[in-house]
Amino acid sequence: MELMSRTAAELSQMLADKEISAVELAQAALDKTAAVDGKVGAYITVAGEQALAAAKAVDEKRAAGEQLPALAGVPIAIKDNICTKGLLTTCASKILYNFVPPYNATVMEKLAASSAVITGKCNMDEFAMGSSCENSAMKNTLNPHGLGHVPGGSSGGSAAVVAAGEVPLSLGSDTGGSIRQPASFCGVVGLKPTYGAVSRYGLIAFASSLDQIGPFARTIEDAAMLMDAVTGYDPAHDSTSVQTPFEGSLRANLNADMKGLRIGLPKEYFGAGISDEVRQSVLASAETYKALGAEVFEISLPLVEYALPIYYILSSAEASSNLARFDGVKYGFRAEGCDELLDIYVKSRSQGFGHEVQRRIMLGTYVLSSGYYDAYYKKARAAQRKIRAEFAGAFEKCDVILTPVAPTTAYEIGSRTTNPLEMYAGDICTVSINIAGLPALVQPCGFDADKLPIGMQLIGPRFGEQKLMNAGLAFEQASGLRNIIAPL
Amino acid sequence: MAITRQEIEHIAVLARLDSTGGIFDRLAEDMQGIVGMVDKLQELQLDNIDDVIDTERKNAFHEDVPVTVFTPDQLIAPNAPTFEAGGVSVPRVVE
Amino acid sequence: MKYEAVIGLEVHAELSTKSKIYCSCPAKFGAGINRNTCPVCTGMPGALPVLNRQVVHYAAKMGLATGCTINQVCKADRKNYFYPDLPKAYQISQFDVPICENGEVYFYVDGEKKCCRLERIHFEEDAGKLLHEEIDGTVVDFNRCGVPLIEMVTRPDLRSSAEAKEFLETIKTTLSYLDICDCKMEEGSIRCDINVSIRPWGSAELGTRVEMKNVNTFSGAVRAIDYEVKRQIDLVEAGGTVQQETRRWDDVKMKNTVMRTKEDAQDYRYFPDPDLIAVEIDDAWLERIRSEIPELPVSRYERYLNEYGMTAMEARQLSDSFAKATMLDEAAASGRVKPKAAANWILSDISKYLNDTEKNLEDTALTADKLVDLISLIDSGTISGNAGKKVLVQLFETDETAEQIVERLGLRQVSDESAILAIVQDVLAKNEKAVSDFKAGKNVTGFLVGQCMKASKGQGNPQMINKLIATELAKL
Repeated sequence: MELMSRTAAELSQMLADKEISAVELAQAALDKTAAVDGKVGAYITVAGEQALAAAKAVDEKRAAGEQLPALAGVPIAIKDNICTKGLLTTCASKILYNFVPPYNATVMEKLAASSAVITGKCNMDEFAMGSSCENSAMKNTLNPHGLGHVPGGSSGGSAAVVAAGEVPLSLGSDTGGSIRQPASFCGVVGLKPTYGAVSRYGLIAFASSLDQIGPFARTIEDAAMLMDAVTGYDPAHDSTSVQTPFEGSLRANLNADMKGLRIGLPKEYFGAGISDEVRQSVLASAETYKALGAEVFEISLPLVEYALPIYYILSSAEASSNLARFDGVKYGFRAEGCDELLDIYVKSRSQGFGHEVQRRIMLGTYVLSSGYYDAYYKKARAAQRKIRAEFAGAFEKCDVILTPVAPTTAYEIGSRTTNPLEMYAGDICTVSINIAGLPALVQPCGFDADKLPIGMQLIGPRFGEQKLMNAGLAFEQASGLRNIIAPL
Repeated sequence: MAITRQEIEHIAVLARLDSTGGIFDRLAEDMQGIVGMVDKLQELQLDNIDDVIDTERKNAFHEDVPVTVFTPDQLIAPNAPTFEAGGVSVPRVVE
Repeated sequence: MKYEAVIGLEVHAELSTKSKIYCSCPAKFGAGINRNTCPVCTGMPGALPVLNRQVVHYAAKMGLATGCTINQVCKADRKNYFYPDLPKAYQISQFDVPICENGEVYFYVDGEKKCCRLERIHFEEDAGKLLHEEIDGTVVDFNRCGVPLIEMVTRPDLRSSAEAKEFLETIKTTLSYLDICDCKMEEGSIRCDINVSIRPWGSAELGTRVEMKNVNTFSGAVRAIDYEVKRQIDLVEAGGTVQQETRRWDDVKMKNTVMRTKEDAQDYRYFPDPDLIAVEIDDAWLERIRSEIPELPVSRYERYLNEYGMTAMEARQLSDSFAKATMLDEAAASGRVKPKAAANWILSDISKYLNDTEKNLEDTALTADKLVDLISLIDSGTISGNAGKKVLVQLFETDETAEQIVERLGLRQVSDESAILAIVQDVLAKNEKAVSDFKAGKNVTGFLVGQCMKASKGQGNPQMINKLIATELAKL
């Protein structure tokens, strides 16, 4: 079996058993990237030299008899909005085209402590705003399962790089579905953790109250392994970070027993906007769970109707403020020929930000501006509290909630770029989870007629990650839909 | 609430974005649609929209102990578009 | 027509924490350009703030000291605007729920007690500094970014520049009593914006207000207010109307100029900072803060006037300094000396020493106990008042007790009557001319006392020498 077709858990074992060296593995990952990434375009930056150097260090430690963590020597790719000290971090934006962070994100420190090997930085929609990777200022990433199709977004590169078998694991970030929708489109596992479970320090903010870093993998166990490494309370750096009950123990506690698990199917998520293929595939998964001994029943989450406006108001408001620091003064792109400070601001920002980013900044500025704050921002916050309460009520009745991830499978490149509202509508199944701060797991549950993956979404209560992983594992075992590598 | 062209231009000024030229025309048009979309929220009836402080979590602090980790040469210079006299430089700012 | 000025102030005070408000960089003044910076205070992408616990403590302390209600649950908000000294392009401040609200500050102007209400006190981060001297353009120094500030906003209760000045002095003294601000005006530790309007005398309505920025000293505040009040009166008298605007005070040219008119008023788009969580000061914490607050300057001032019988000037000088007032109160509490005697020492010799050496009382070795010992030694006749001054100088600088210093320097007075008598008799015997002058009716006592002091090497008890000279001369 080809090395890069193996799961992270298998590779970890092979490394521990000294069947392979970390350098061999890193080289295999780089070779695979050299072979396929020309087609997929998952990476913005491939960090070959650094990866080989890190792998060599791991081999030396192992040779010296050190006990190493599970991820030691395992190649991992990183979304390009996570600060990597000394390694270009662009957010796929012209405005950060040359930014080399002087510090590491907390997750990078954790991965370094796990002796993981970082292979490079993945493409994304600019500043994580978008659902197709087409908003990248750097390049397009294509869906490894169908190169005419988008990989999803915003973490499209992170999903595609795993689906293409270039690495077994990657990190993405999810503000309104940015891990889950590309995981669905690319046929991989993606976890959006409970808000606060993974430190945001060093994640270049889109919407601070919604952003979460999370893992991509091709199996549930691998996703648990990466989540175990990056989760953790970070009081020194992130005030919104929290202590979780599962810290570092998801993989160890995996349990596929589904007897008595109560699964809710919210009828609003299976409505008119959802394609038949997606609906049928997710409902078939519900049947699988029934067969495994779970209780499955319909529930109602009526406020989902308002999730899109709430999400776009809150996320854009925060983004307008978070992205104000990109002003051409301190780092990144500064427009040429500016004699005055105001010119630096306006020209650098207008030339440095892409259209979608400018739209969101405009919307966010508008909803916070004098005279509109109450009607938009304040009301959206109040509605957010309602949605939280609605989910809390639902979780009194069920353990997990099963829904589609996106209304359709991966669409064709360029097919939704004219009207931003069409693109926004694709977020309907994912945004409410960020609004509510909940964890959600996406994994493949089938393929459409074009052999494009269909994903399903399991939503858990706050800190319900273990429940989600267990349910994911049970489905993975029953369906056999695991470790899917796109035929390239 | 429909948003006027004038309001959109004012928003661009606040956001330090260029409000001239053909690109902005498209941005302004998109804004109309997007504001229309978020206006759906106005249909939702809520008893109370007052701001409340989220107190689910409270008191994340650092203790008052000073630490110096970076020099300006490490922290600021490498990414600064222009770096002079120990700091980022800009055209003369008249207050 | 006669006009009344209506003045409100927004006072910013830098808190004397060791580290910054949202990161752990040193908050110290005077480091080289950008030396005290990190990803957080320079607004690096991805960096996040974590609040300094001490800032909350200090801000609440000022609130309690000024009679504010403490909002035991409060939050931080973002104030959005672009400026090169603000690297995130927003300032983390507090908007609708400040940590303290509705306080009162009492102070005296020409012997009359006044009150200025505080609308609020909130904590926020300072901005950086723009340096124009270093290069042809402007260099941005982020050292001050994130230095903690409290902003104290008054109600429009002040009516003259004199009132404003006394209010500011009281705020400064209170901050220094609480030990939460180093109050170094020359380093910009306390700065204020001033709102001024005028109205016809007797009117209860508020006029259109003008905000003045860039006032860096209290005396500058007086000049800025006097200028602005006159400008507004002249304008109205000439038939004009006051425009709502922000003006910039130039303390060199002694005038102000328009910075911003009402039309280009800023829209700061305040909203709760999503990177931070709620701050809660529970009852136990609040009590701990309350217990740290000493008796405040105005209360001490009143006590010194009423109980110690001091002049307004003396009471003010003492109460202005926490260290001096505390030394006085501790000395008085010993019950071994008269408060007035301790006050005299503090106001004269001690103050003179501190002025001459440019030291703070708390940085010397002198304590209230030592001062009490010193005064007692003089009161008991063990040393002379002059010797006491010599002892004091030592008390500032060594850890010895007053007694030890007296012994070391040999300053103990000779009060043994037979020993003094022997000296007096010897002096009389050696100064026949003086004796004959005395017999001729001249006053020679002063000369003879001096001779006796000399003969006793300065240690003779002067009162006793005086008395014995008188009795010996009378015998002649």
